[in-house]
Formats: sequence, structure tokens, C-alpha cells
Amino acid sequence: MTPPALAQALVAAVAPASDYEIVAGDLHEEYVRILHARGARAANRWYWAQTLLSIPSLLSYSRSNKSILGHIGVALIAFAVLLAMVAVLMAIELAVQRISGDSNAGPGWVWLCITYADAGVFGAILARLVRVDGLRVALYAAIFLVLCFVVPAIAGHPGSQAPLCAWIELAGVIPAMCIGAAFYQIAVRKVGNIT
Amino acid sequence: MAKGEYLGEFEHIVLLIVLRLGDGAYGAMIRAEIERVTGRSPAIGAVHATLERLERKRLVSSWIGEPTAERGGKAKRHFKIEAAGISALKDARGTLERLHAGVSLQEATA
Repeated sequence: MTPPALAQALVAAVAPASDYEIVAGDLHEEYVRILHARGARAANRWYWAQTLLSIPSLLSYSRSNKSILGHIGVALIAFAVLLAMVAVLMAIELAVQRISGDSNAGPGWVWLCITYADAGVFGAILARLVRVDGLRVALYAAIFLVLCFVVPAIAGHPGSQAPLCAWIELAGVIPAMCIGAAFYQIAVRKVGNIT
Repeated sequence: MAKGEYLGEFEHIVLLIVLRLGDGAYGAMIRAEIERVTGRSPAIGAVHATLERLERKRLVSSWIGEPTAERGGKAKRHFKIEAAGISALKDARGTLERLHAGVSLQEATA
């Protein structure tokens, strides 16, 4: 009998790289104790409650003592990845327009799927490049996206009045990036457990 | 004592529990002891985040142990209180005692 797989994946997605094994081990140890004392149902319920209640705390701390230069480096990598993500999207859009011969080809559910897939892949790339705490870095990148696109629009900056569909697209890109980073992190930690 | 040096309520509890358990206390053990002593059931993430904060303040130190089978092959992080941690607990107790001095709780609730 093992803890709920989805809850374990959540812990793998949000725990800081330095403490993932420690936190997962602590949860596993108490899970086994409750399993023997009160049965599988109580143990699963306890594991889920602990996982969900732990998410804010696990996302809030990191043992990595990065210098200011280290933080600047991560910010620059995140910025480069965001630029690459937008460049790939623009290239796909241009290719679609060239193939279809329609200069307005773009929005639509297929386009949204392509956008989110692109964001997910780049979220995973970001997690790979910075190696530790990919989900956290994806969250920072998401905040960066919001600052770049939403704040100028709210402030009434000319040229930032995007149509509604563009806002919906942007709102989906942020979680898609985070999901991509989380999946990468889960995969790496699962493989690490197996080997 | 500067503002940032005061112990928060949960930090105070965790530090006392680390002291009670002695060298080698670890996350699950600390969480279970907090539950047993206080009746509160803290999230393991909150315990680890607090321990990391205490370590950054140099009130506790930690080291990684060996992986064990009952933890699904995962290692423990052991904690021990440092001299600065004992000193912080003494300060916190002194502050509380001074605050309680001359105050009757029975009169206050009557």
C-alpha cells in the first residue's frame, strides 16, 4: 500500500528541490504509521490533507542560498525563455498564415491549444535550465508576463489594448507554463526515485 | 532585541519541540510531537518552512541522514538546537514572564 499517487505528484511539483526527498519521506513515514493504526482510508485522507495544507508553505521557502548575481542570472534565463516562447509562437502563426493564405489565420481553439502546448514546453525548458524549483521559477515568469502585458494595459498604455481573446490566451499561458514546469519536476523526481 | 529577531508563535513552539526531542529530531517526529503536546496538527510543509527559517537565523542546525525503508527509501533531515536557539528561548520566556508579571488572569476572566 502506497500513498495516493496524485498527492505524491503534487508534493513532487511544489516541494523545494533541496527538501523534496525529506518532505516526501516524512509524509511516507507518518502515512505508514496511520495505515497500520487506522486503516487505508484514514491514511489516504491524512496524506491528502497534509499535502494540500503544505502547498503554500512548500512554495514559500527554498534552501538555495543564491547570491544577487544568481537571482539576476535566473531572471535573465527566464526572460530569454519567455522571448523564445513568443518567437516560436510567432513563427507558427506566420507558417499557418503562409500555408492557409489567410493573413487573419490565428485565433480559434486549435490556435489556443498550440499556444498552451508551446507555453507548457517552455515551462518545462525553464525548469530544466534552472534545475531547481522549476515550478517556482515558472511562477516568477508568470508574474513577469503579467507585469509586461497586464499592467501597461491597466495603466492605459497606447498599443496595449489587446482584444478579449488575447487576454484569455494570456490567462491560459500562465498556468500552462506552470503545468509544464511541474510535469518536468515530477518526472525528474520520479526517475530519481527509481534509479 | 531587534524586531526581526523575535520568535513567532509557531517558531517558538518548533524550537521548544526540537529542544525537547534532543539532537537528531526530524520533520515527522517534530510534527507528531507538536500534535501530541499542543493538540494542533500542523502541516508538514509548515514545519519544514519554519525549521528552514530557524536555521537561517542560526537557531538550529541540520544534517541529512541515511535513507531508510520505512520512509520509502528517503532520507531524513535531522535538527539540533544551537546556543543561539537556547538564548532566543530564554529571551522569549523572559519577555513572557515580564508581560505576565502583575497580571491576574482570574480577575481578567471574571
